[in-house]
Amino acid sequence: MSFVSTPTGTLSARIGRLMIANRGEIVVRIASTAHRLGISTVGVYSEPDRNSMHVDTVDVAVALGGATPAESYLRADAVIDAALAQGCQAVHPGYGFLAENAEFAEQVAAAGLIWVGPSPADIRLLGDKIAAKKAAIEAGVPTAPLFEIEAADDLPDDVPFPALVKAAAGGGGRGMRVVRSSDELADAVAAGSREAEAAFGDGTVFVEPYIERARHVEVQVIGDAHGHVIHLGERECSIQRRNQKIVEESPSPGILPETRAALCEGAVKLAASTGYQNAGTVEFLVGEAGTVDEINFLEVNTRLQVEHPVTEAVTGVDLVELQLRVAAGEALPVVQDDVSSSGHAIEVRVVAEDPAAGWLPSTGEVTAFDIGEGVRVDTGFRAGAVVSPDYDSMLAKVIAHAPTRTEAAARLRRALLGSDVAGVTTNVPALTAILGEPDYLAARTPTAYLDEHPDVVAVLGPSGGDLDALLLAAVFAAEASSRSVGSANPLAFVPSGWRNVRTQGQRQAWTRAAEPEVEHHVEYTISADGAVVLLGPPPAITDDGSFADDDRRRVEVRLLRRAVGEIAIEVDGVRRTVSTAVVDGGYRTRSTAGSAMWTLAPRFVDHDAEAAGSGPVCPLPGSVLSVHVEVGQEVTDGDVLMVVEAMKMEHRITATGTATVSAVHFAAGDRVDQGDLLVSLESVDG
Amino acid sequence: MSSTIGTQLRSRIDTRSDEYRANLAEMQALWDEVAAQHDQIPTIGGQRYVDRHRRRGKMLVRERIEALVDPDTPFLELNALAGWGTQDPIGVGVCQGIGVIEGVECAITGTDMSVKGGSSNPTTWKKQQRIYEIARANRLPMINLNESAGADLPRQADLFIGGGESFRRLTQLSKAGIPTVTIAFGPNTAGGAYVPGMSDYTIFVKERGTAYLGGPPLVKMAIDEIVDEETLGGAEMHSRTSGLSDYLAQDEMDGLRICRQIIRHLRWSKLGPGRTEPDDPPIHDPQELLGVAPADVRIPFDIREVYARMLDGSRFEEFKPLYGSTLVCGWGSIHGFPVGVLGNNGILFSEEAAKGAQFIQLCNRRDTPLLFCHNITGFMVGSKAEQGGIIRNGAKMINAVSNSEVPHLNLMVGASYGAGNYGMAGRSYDPRFIFTWPNHKVAVMGPKQLAGVMEIIARNSAAGRGVEVDEDALLAQTSALEAQIEEESTALYSTGRLWDDGIIHPGDTRAVLGMALSAIHSNVVTGAESYGVWRH
Repeated sequence: MSFVSTPTGTLSARIGRLMIANRGEIVVRIASTAHRLGISTVGVYSEPDRNSMHVDTVDVAVALGGATPAESYLRADAVIDAALAQGCQAVHPGYGFLAENAEFAEQVAAAGLIWVGPSPADIRLLGDKIAAKKAAIEAGVPTAPLFEIEAADDLPDDVPFPALVKAAAGGGGRGMRVVRSSDELADAVAAGSREAEAAFGDGTVFVEPYIERARHVEVQVIGDAHGHVIHLGERECSIQRRNQKIVEESPSPGILPETRAALCEGAVKLAASTGYQNAGTVEFLVGEAGTVDEINFLEVNTRLQVEHPVTEAVTGVDLVELQLRVAAGEALPVVQDDVSSSGHAIEVRVVAEDPAAGWLPSTGEVTAFDIGEGVRVDTGFRAGAVVSPDYDSMLAKVIAHAPTRTEAAARLRRALLGSDVAGVTTNVPALTAILGEPDYLAARTPTAYLDEHPDVVAVLGPSGGDLDALLLAAVFAAEASSRSVGSANPLAFVPSGWRNVRTQGQRQAWTRAAEPEVEHHVEYTISADGAVVLLGPPPAITDDGSFADDDRRRVEVRLLRRAVGEIAIEVDGVRRTVSTAVVDGGYRTRSTAGSAMWTLAPRFVDHDAEAAGSGPVCPLPGSVLSVHVEVGQEVTDGDVLMVVEAMKMEHRITATGTATVSAVHFAAGDRVDQGDLLVSLESVDG
Repeated sequence: MSSTIGTQLRSRIDTRSDEYRANLAEMQALWDEVAAQHDQIPTIGGQRYVDRHRRRGKMLVRERIEALVDPDTPFLELNALAGWGTQDPIGVGVCQGIGVIEGVECAITGTDMSVKGGSSNPTTWKKQQRIYEIARANRLPMINLNESAGADLPRQADLFIGGGESFRRLTQLSKAGIPTVTIAFGPNTAGGAYVPGMSDYTIFVKERGTAYLGGPPLVKMAIDEIVDEETLGGAEMHSRTSGLSDYLAQDEMDGLRICRQIIRHLRWSKLGPGRTEPDDPPIHDPQELLGVAPADVRIPFDIREVYARMLDGSRFEEFKPLYGSTLVCGWGSIHGFPVGVLGNNGILFSEEAAKGAQFIQLCNRRDTPLLFCHNITGFMVGSKAEQGGIIRNGAKMINAVSNSEVPHLNLMVGASYGAGNYGMAGRSYDPRFIFTWPNHKVAVMGPKQLAGVMEIIARNSAAGRGVEVDEDALLAQTSALEAQIEEESTALYSTGRLWDDGIIHPGDTRAVLGMALSAIHSNVVTGAESYGVWRH
């Protein structure tokens, strides 16, 4: 779809240079449209972000200093100063940071800059949950009613149950209480209010009917300065963890056509009623059956949403372009009747986090970053970038668009399987599992989906033959490197691991980053064109000294092609192509079934290092004069742990950091030898 | 490729022929017999003792070596079947060979505690002295993985002298600048204590390694002192008090780790020129070596068929191709190491002996190692040969071989009888390595000839005494003698007596010779400048 700007050229005339006041993927996304429209871009960056992808993408970027958001991206004044200094005419806030900050929107306008977003008044009105819901009801938006709490002793008596107590301010589930019957209401209101007061400094709560097993459905709207408001269809974002979306799609697969119509019309009515300009999203909860009688208005997000690409995919609209045009004063170049939805789009958020560990964020350097093919990838990360605890840990949005939902899911799943993101733990295996899971494919996706599917959360990536091939590719990549030109092996011309009298093969143990506590034992013997491999722990030695039964799996491997970075490996007659890379001394292997990071367990334990790592060792042979700590005691740098007398001198054994004493190995008067571990310490972070 | 040595050899063997297939089947059967002997070695001391060793939490000698050498590197086990056909167990309780540690080719020997408690018999010493000699001649760091109950006392008469020589050899290695490392995994008693004692570096495994001249019972006997093992000669005591142990290892793996650490700090570099030729594989499949030589050594075959499957790119530059045709001499390379090759296509005449002597001198001038491929039944006899100076010419070849200083390798691809064995630099001429194909026969002469000679002598003697020959008795005696010599000529008999460094699968010839040449290049490779007086 192409757009004709009306009045002609207003955008180009009014915005030649755009400040993008954000970081990461959304900056890259916005800059891409801006550049296509001939608009130059100015970015901002914190100190850790000084070489990040978003900074490279914009034409010029201004240092904000600092590391935390408060020190950098939340500094409204600095952003506006930078925009003015760099000759910008407009500010796009992206999402998060300053995006829904009405005060900032006002400051931008006051500085003579165009604010790419709704008016401060709309941000304020719709940011207040109670006011927004009242406005929605007034505008005729389909929703369950709202019951305000005037006073703790004046509870409404017409609340249908189950009901939900919610905080008027904030979000993230804090202050929320599900109430099943009227006699629980008073307690729930009191507790919710206390929690809201503590969390947001505002104890106002309200009650609304609670929809069991709801879906999250939202409508994209956009309005211009000329009184036009249109919707661009809905998105369903029911799959959430910790109240944050990870899978989003358009259209919603779980609502009836009349529900869709009611939601979209309602959203437009609400936006029209406030004279809403620019992009916004009206969020609803809908019953699992998707019927029109189970709808509850949630809130309005007065910004561009993270998940906007699915709408773009199915409607063919560039939402950032529309934002810029209406911000510049142009009329919307499309009317509602022009908007149609074609096919189905699904987006997943690839996040540096560990689903199996309660979705705990994972930080560190991203050592490999490559997403598979046939999909749209919106990202601000690349190999070498660092996921810092200061910022959102979302690495990328991956979007697939196909004629049907099933096809889109399959295409997206294939792209994820072929992805290689290393250095941090990611939710890619879980996302891959979701996209192939029967309930998901049947659109049985209430917001409780992940709680009800612990199996997809626990998935650690490829398994079975796929995992074998990934492991063996690492094994034989390592084997090849130990025999390559320039390796230390002076006999590399002889067949690998050659023996004239053979009693065993090459024995190794590997660990996978996704599951570091599990050792994968491998024993291989190279033959003319391949190898015989035993997988599994070698038989244990029993009490009488003989071996227990050997229940290792025996597989025949042929290495059909070996090139730098790629191995065509046949395992028991099944061939796969696996790419291999040396990363941090380990091997990263990747096939169309997924990827894995492998580390070869060291053959030897360095006992000196082991002892030194866990506590102080005795510097000289002598005897213990006194012990100054006991088990469980916390010690800090310089604390005296023990005094050892040796060579007629007293040696003070001190702690070198903050730690807890986990064991004291000697008592006063004991003889100690050089290298003896005196005290075991467990380090305490921070 | 104009820069390579020689031209490509063409094979005349038809691998689909009945003859080739028959050779292949017979050689395979002979190899299977050897492999069956190899299979016995790891538990030759008895499963009970193997289990007992493991039950004590100890590793077997081969497990120690596997854990010691670099991943994916080859290990060339030497003298694996020493003791075969003798009263001693196959392998004589020792595993030894050449392995790569931290990128350095080392000579490694280790005792197998599961074989008679690691005690030494006369062949044990002989086998260990062989590896010391290999370490010395090729300048390979020497690793001893030691634990031994000591000498097999009832056999002290046969091993007292040899034991002493072992310790002398070990310290002479040190003098020659060859590092010696001993890991004491268990007891090192009496004479055994001198293995760590004579080593440059010693590692004792905590609570396992001990060393004392006399154990607690002997000490009680001799001086009436009652003492425990640890106080007398434990790893801790030697590490902290006596100083015999340089490194105290926490456990066996730690001992191996420390050994690797020692080799790393040596910053060892080889002195030979190394691989200087292209090392492309032969045009003809080296695995076909299994079917090239007939199992019956009396059937001749063209030694060039071996060269075509052994030399890089099957390239061979033949020396004097039109002269002395039963000794095929020339130049080629194996895995990039240049070699001068001599091989037999029949018995040696005067021309062959003179040609061989000249070729050996040429290779000494160019510092080129020599590879002798034995398939020789001896020098020509008879009046024509004698009048033609076969002794004089044979002496030339033996003079050249004896005084040649470039490294010699022997590959036994068939028979090696009589003075032919000497002329081809056999065992008594101290080649660096000798490897044997399973079909090999070695003796002073062929069993039939030997029995026949004895029969003629018996008949002459009978005639001289004027008695009638008892034909039945003589036939029985001759057959028995032939069978005895046949038995004593086999590859297994020979390897059991350490006349070689091991029987190899013919298909492994290139790999084995390549490893041997690589070891050789750890030392300088230089030729002789003078010889004994030539009898012209």
